[in-house]
Amino acid sequence: MEAAGVEILAISPDPNERSQDLADRLRAGYKFLADRDLAVARRLGLIHVAGGAEKQDVPRPATVLIDKDGIVRWMALADNIQSRPDARDVLRAVRAL
Amino acid sequence: MMQAMPRALAVAALVLALGTIVAFGVLLQRPVPVPVPPAVYLGALGLAVVLAALAVARSRRWLPVSALAISVLLLGLAGYFHFVLARVPATPTALVIGRPAPDFTLPDAAGRPVSLADYKGNKPVVLVFYRGYW
Repeated sequence: MEAAGVEILAISPDPNERSQDLADRLRAGYKFLADRDLAVARRLGLIHVAGGAEKQDVPRPATVLIDKDGIVRWMALADNIQSRPDARDVLRAVRAL
Repeated sequence: MMQAMPRALAVAALVLALGTIVAFGVLLQRPVPVPVPPAVYLGALGLAVVLAALAVARSRRWLPVSALAISVLLLGLAGYFHFVLARVPATPTALVIGRPAPDFTLPDAAGRPVSLADYKGNKPVVLVFYRGYW
């Protein structure tokens, strides 16, 4: 994905240190951004209300492709907390830009 | 032989059903969690129910009967998790295909602010929103 010249921004309410730790262990070429109070997820309408283990709000798992001009070109919003888009589908959408 | 067959079926059902639950938990506890797909765990538990039912059809002793009870219970719990608890209700989103994504700024792992607008005119971006580990 990075080879295709795409920046991947992984966004969660996790604290920075844990996300950085995870990124280092995975040697992942993407940036982790901390949305501590879910303000961004909330503004974008990507909240699973009371979806957490303690009935707290959590992000709705979502993958969104934005082109160079800032336009949304493809997205996958989870309808189940276990579902994630196939990486090949994301790559196909990137190649179709 | 007549006795061994239902017992073997019952044991296979129990191993399959309990093994599925254990594998589900163990794989999620790994440093990089590996979620077992719903089709796999529901399929495995369904198969355990079939094996236990075959065992019960051949013998009504306690082992086949309890294997069936445990398999059905675990399949029911897993089904409840997948079809009820794990569902994410559809809610309106501000993201629309073909429309500009709203800009935002968030701190990266080093605390430096990163804005979506930083990439405009530069390169495409994939946003991955995930639940995190809290």
